[in-house]
Amino acid sequence: MNRRQFLATGSAGLASVALPRFLGAAPNATDLTQPAPANPFLEWFGIDEALIRRVMSELTANGAAIAELYFQHKRTNLIRMQDGLASQASSDIAQGVGLRVVVAGQTGYAFTEDLTPESMLRAARVAATIANGARAPVPVHFDPRRQGDLYPVERPWSEVGLDEKLPLIQKVEALVRAADPAIDKVTVQLTDTDERVLIATLDGHLLVDRRPSVLLGLMVTAKRGAKTQSNLGSLGARDGLSFYTDGRLKAQVDEVVARTLVLFDAKRPPAGEMPVMLAAGASSVLLHEAIGHGMEADFNRIGTSIYSDMIGKPVAAPFVNVVDQGNLPHELGTLNMDDEGNATGRAALVEKGILKSYLHDNLSARHYGIDRDGVAHVGSGRRESYRFPILPRMTTTFMENGPHTREEIVAAIDRGIVAETFTGGQVAIGPGDFTFYVKNGWLVEGGKITAPIKDVNLIGNGPEALKRITMVANDFKLDPGGWICGKYSQSVPVSIGMPSALVSRMTVGGENV
Amino acid sequence: MSEPSTQTQTQNEAPAAEALLARARQAVEMARAAGADDAWATAVEKRSVSLQFRDGKPETVSDATTRALDIKLYVGGRYGVYSTTDLREPRLREFIREAVPLTRQLQADPDRRITPPALFPVDDTGDVLQLQDPAIARLDSGQRLEWCREMDALVHAEPRLISATSTAEDSQIHIANASSNGFGRGYAKTTTSLGVNLSMRDQGTGAQQSERRAEGGDSADCLHLGDLPSAQRIAEGALARARARLGGRQGPTIKTTMVVESRAAITLIRDLLASATAANIQQGQSFWPALIDTPAFSDKLTIVDDPLRPRGLGSRPYDREGIAARRLVLVEQGRPKAAYADTYYGAKARLPITTGEPSNRVVQPGTRTLVELVRAAGDGILVTGWAGGNADPTTGAFSQGLDGHIIRNGEIAEPVVGMIVTGSLPALFASLVEVGNDPFPYAALLTPSLVFENVQFSGA
Repeated sequence: MNRRQFLATGSAGLASVALPRFLGAAPNATDLTQPAPANPFLEWFGIDEALIRRVMSELTANGAAIAELYFQHKRTNLIRMQDGLASQASSDIAQGVGLRVVVAGQTGYAFTEDLTPESMLRAARVAATIANGARAPVPVHFDPRRQGDLYPVERPWSEVGLDEKLPLIQKVEALVRAADPAIDKVTVQLTDTDERVLIATLDGHLLVDRRPSVLLGLMVTAKRGAKTQSNLGSLGARDGLSFYTDGRLKAQVDEVVARTLVLFDAKRPPAGEMPVMLAAGASSVLLHEAIGHGMEADFNRIGTSIYSDMIGKPVAAPFVNVVDQGNLPHELGTLNMDDEGNATGRAALVEKGILKSYLHDNLSARHYGIDRDGVAHVGSGRRESYRFPILPRMTTTFMENGPHTREEIVAAIDRGIVAETFTGGQVAIGPGDFTFYVKNGWLVEGGKITAPIKDVNLIGNGPEALKRITMVANDFKLDPGGWICGKYSQSVPVSIGMPSALVSRMTVGGENV
Repeated sequence: MSEPSTQTQTQNEAPAAEALLARARQAVEMARAAGADDAWATAVEKRSVSLQFRDGKPETVSDATTRALDIKLYVGGRYGVYSTTDLREPRLREFIREAVPLTRQLQADPDRRITPPALFPVDDTGDVLQLQDPAIARLDSGQRLEWCREMDALVHAEPRLISATSTAEDSQIHIANASSNGFGRGYAKTTTSLGVNLSMRDQGTGAQQSERRAEGGDSADCLHLGDLPSAQRIAEGALARARARLGGRQGPTIKTTMVVESRAAITLIRDLLASATAANIQQGQSFWPALIDTPAFSDKLTIVDDPLRPRGLGSRPYDREGIAARRLVLVEQGRPKAAYADTYYGAKARLPITTGEPSNRVVQPGTRTLVELVRAAGDGILVTGWAGGNADPTTGAFSQGLDGHIIRNGEIAEPVVGMIVTGSLPALFASLVEVGNDPFPYAALLTPSLVFENVQFSGA
């Protein structure tokens, strides 16, 4: 997948990650300024608890093991500056309820954007047709619960007007233009989102969350003579306006400009197999593709993932530890609770080289029987919106520091490349074959970095790539960009990170046989 | 799974087109009343129903009704786009009332204007295009279940099968547009689709042979039920495609002939045309303008965008801006002729306004079948699918992972995995030597199989 065309999941187990399509989509704004009210049903969605009970009763009329109503109100604002003009803005409100009932592994799902009793009851009846058993008992009262405070903001985005956003994007544009005379075109785009979520579950919980996010996208085109090069960057968080400090903005601009200008001197590396050093940070696209998707429990529950029979087996060197963690403060992949209301946390995918745990939603946790002895699974059930059913998904996926240094890794490469920045990746779940696209990188010859490279695809197989990780450095870095993960036509924000690491052999899509 | 009630089916049927158009017109009136100079509104209602059936039983049944209103506001040379699914009248009025002053805070842009009426459609093409099949609205869950059961049973005859998911899905969408300068139209479109995705135990080679699964799938999307292939054909197609992946080995690093099967060729044509947009051209991110009217590509290549194909998946009477549908020649015998240009970027780039929205992109076919193309190639690589990659519209550089087969002595030989094709899109299409006669009919981009010479592959 690439950043202009993310999200096409046609075949059986295809999943992908890409930088967001911030320069083409027309996202959405907000008025979510207040703390969660005492009666969020009424105050957020104009409905009451009695109606929720009625809808839940219809939804579970033919039986239910799992059932929930997922209410969501999401407002997204966008402002774009291009060719020196901040002349385009958009705002979108999406509001609706998704209704799901699960019986014996079968799911009935419906959603409606019309929150009238008639419409919700009708949707519930449709979803309930999946089952034909006895009516499930419905809670007499929904117990309000709110957990986590992982993304506090000093001021909600609804209180941030255009008068504050305009100077921000103008500042960024000016920084880019001042960076180098070769800069020809600059597009800066700021997208802020506020989202209210309310989940009513069959076991009587009422869970609420408010989710801010913001993403600054930057596209730069430079000209030298007849040659043109362009590149992208983004900087995002679940945070407020204060996230964009002068220091962060300057660093982002400098990096994107440097990545663009170096393309004038960059060439493609030779084609074929060679050692690849994954630079610290965004190289975790490889982890996301090579192992993350294959460890999502829905693929394993039905036996279609290459990792389906490998839990407890050694898959990498003992210094390799891979984690998915949904509770890192302010990360775009972070959630106070997952979209089934479960607490997020740390899930070890690979621990000391051993394959440790899948990523679960309620359905797979039930299948594997892992919620027991009072310990609940780490919540990894996510959905793009009320329009989609739940799937096990990644949040922030990263590799932990290892025993080597970046310099030691470079010195160990006789003829290979460093992969530094990426536009995205893709994996086929069953065979485990993955690709990821390197926008910027470096050629390494005789243990030294010698020349810039660009525009190459790398291809490998997940388990084989893990086995070939022979060195891991101690320079861990979380990538600050906004990554979007696509699976079964659903997009969710994720975060990625890792230290520098060496894969002893990968196929590089170069030129000049 | 029990049958949904008849009442449910009936209640979710298409809303009156007049009501939808009235909603769009009302939004335009609200915008004008709030101070907008011009406004363009789109009201949409869509119902889609799907059944996923896995390994002998229904897995997911879903029913979705979407309704939304988008409005573009032109206020003192400023421009804003606003959309909402909250259509309660007081909320909508408030939403638009707030949007107008928000738009006014932006900077004025002289190139941003509402679509001029001269570009609006004059004739009603709805019946000619045949976008709607009333039979789809009458489909019931029993029919979807029967299709899925049939596909599921057929693929489960394969002993190496691990799991298969069959899908039957259909939708009805109604769109209405209104503007402050006289536009007021709408149309409806139906779609139906069948598909199977499956996973099989792979007896292939390589370090991970015991864990490796082969995947494959087939699907078809149509506007009319009568155009849908049989469930049997879909199931057999999925099985054939999965079986073809069994035992894949990494291919060599080599320069050779590349034959791209019609379904995979869609990606190449899409990547090539990504540079043919006024937005990319105006932003300096396109190789297209330097090639206009030059023999840049092989003379075997002709590409037309045709929104007026009856029953075409991308057919439409007008685009999102209200520009009337008309045929657009993008490449003629290897010479790039035009680009997609909406009203804004067309004006900025000083290009003729065509449309900013692709419809049915059609590559003019040749005369030979895929088998004949492979035979003529002698040796090379047959690409049947892509495994991820990227193409840069600024420079044309591309690099894509692939699934396919070795071509040896004019025959399709063993499957290959772990290979990448790399190059430049203009150079690749200059090396196009033949176009087949076999476009995959269930897509909006219709291209036959393509044959290229001297292509760089990376592998073992």
